[in-house]
Amino acid sequence: MSELLTLDEVDRDGAIRETMDAIADDSRAGFLKKSMLATGGIVGGGALLAAMASPAQAATANDVSILNFALTLEYLEAEFYTEAVAMGALSGEVLDFARIVAQHERAHVAFLKKALGTAAVPKPSFNFRGTTENQAKFKATAQVLEDTGVKAYAGQAPLIDSNAILAAALSIHSIEARHASWIRHINGVPPAPNAFDPAATKQRILAAVAATKFITGTPAMTASGGSPAFTG
Amino acid sequence: MPDHLTLEVVDKDGAIREALDPVRSSSRLGFLKRAVVAGGTIAAGGVIIGGLPKLAVGAPSPAQDAEILKFALTLEYLEAAFYTEAVAMGALSGETLAFARVVGAHERAHVAFLKKALGSKAQKSPTFDFKGTTEDQGKFQATAILLEDTGVAAYNGQGPNLTKPTLAAAGSIVSVEARHAAWIRDIVGKNPAPVAFDPAKTKAQILAAVNSTGFITG
Repeated sequence: MSELLTLDEVDRDGAIRETMDAIADDSRAGFLKKSMLATGGIVGGGALLAAMASPAQAATANDVSILNFALTLEYLEAEFYTEAVAMGALSGEVLDFARIVAQHERAHVAFLKKALGTAAVPKPSFNFRGTTENQAKFKATAQVLEDTGVKAYAGQAPLIDSNAILAAALSIHSIEARHASWIRHINGVPPAPNAFDPAATKQRILAAVAATKFITGTPAMTASGGSPAFTG
Repeated sequence: MPDHLTLEVVDKDGAIREALDPVRSSSRLGFLKRAVVAGGTIAAGGVIIGGLPKLAVGAPSPAQDAEILKFALTLEYLEAAFYTEAVAMGALSGETLAFARVVGAHERAHVAFLKKALGSKAQKSPTFDFKGTTEDQGKFQATAILLEDTGVAAYNGQGPNLTKPTLAAAGSIVSVEARHAAWIRDIVGKNPAPVAFDPAKTKAQILAAVNSTGFITG
């Protein structure tokens, strides 16, 4: 159990959450100045992590596998958005989108790594093949990545054993759907193309990811023999 | 056990009931008695609600699924009626009108799906008064944001209580509500995704939020 106070413990009637939602719920410009809230640190992920940390409920092998699948996708998204912001080819609302979504995906990575502990898969190496260096390619790729993330979480949710892990997965799933809707809106295509969003199996998702050729390999070990830390 | 507040839950030692009998007055106690007699529940939000034990739900079961789907159906009835009325009222224009048309069709499809899933257990639609929010574009937009964000929190809150097949169905709906929420937020210039993890809310919290709108009239 985390030694840090979680929001659940101090905010029994939800008043703090409501206030923080109001603060975070700014215009995009105001939001970018308040990025601490946006990363969903102790506020967003802390309570979820605490719920998962009970010693009586060690994660099943099944759940570890699902969390690592999610972590791989989140590593990819976090790296894609972080690199795209750094490359400097984005502007206007597309740049706002990339900055905010990068923060979210990095928060998802941090959350999943903490939940998995030593069972976390290391970050792969990536080559985004020019899609982070050109605004049009970025927009198209982001739309595919976010829609894919929605399908992936939807496909995995019914397979999760632990209620706490399921709650966490659902809280991420709907954020990916918001991201997908946002970039579709930016791209001028229907943000919500269907009344019911389709799910996809892990097999189909991994095949789709492999087809992008974005993942180029598992990371090299550092000189000390450990895996490189994710510094995004 | 109903997942809303009843007098039995609030009044374990009968002190409230004692105080309410035999007087029917215009005092606060009299109001409570009339509220209880009328609906058997007390809307969350007042001080009487604080400090209550968390109401438990059981392990997933088809019977519990049905209760949860009825809860979802209430919310979908509300959304479908809101969007349908807003389009009909004629106060919307541009992309907000397009949004209302598309989203109205989705919510009507959600209603149809849930009614079919519930079969004879499906309840009829409540009656609504949207208090002018369907007649003014700015009020419509603000209300749509509230309703869509609330829908996401409601479905996410119930997910762990569902059997797996029903969870799969709910999963296909919640992401659409999230898309709706992000869309209308972007239309008005708000952050489509304000936090990294979407908050879940309990049924009691959702019902309190819905009650506070006053939209459901019967």
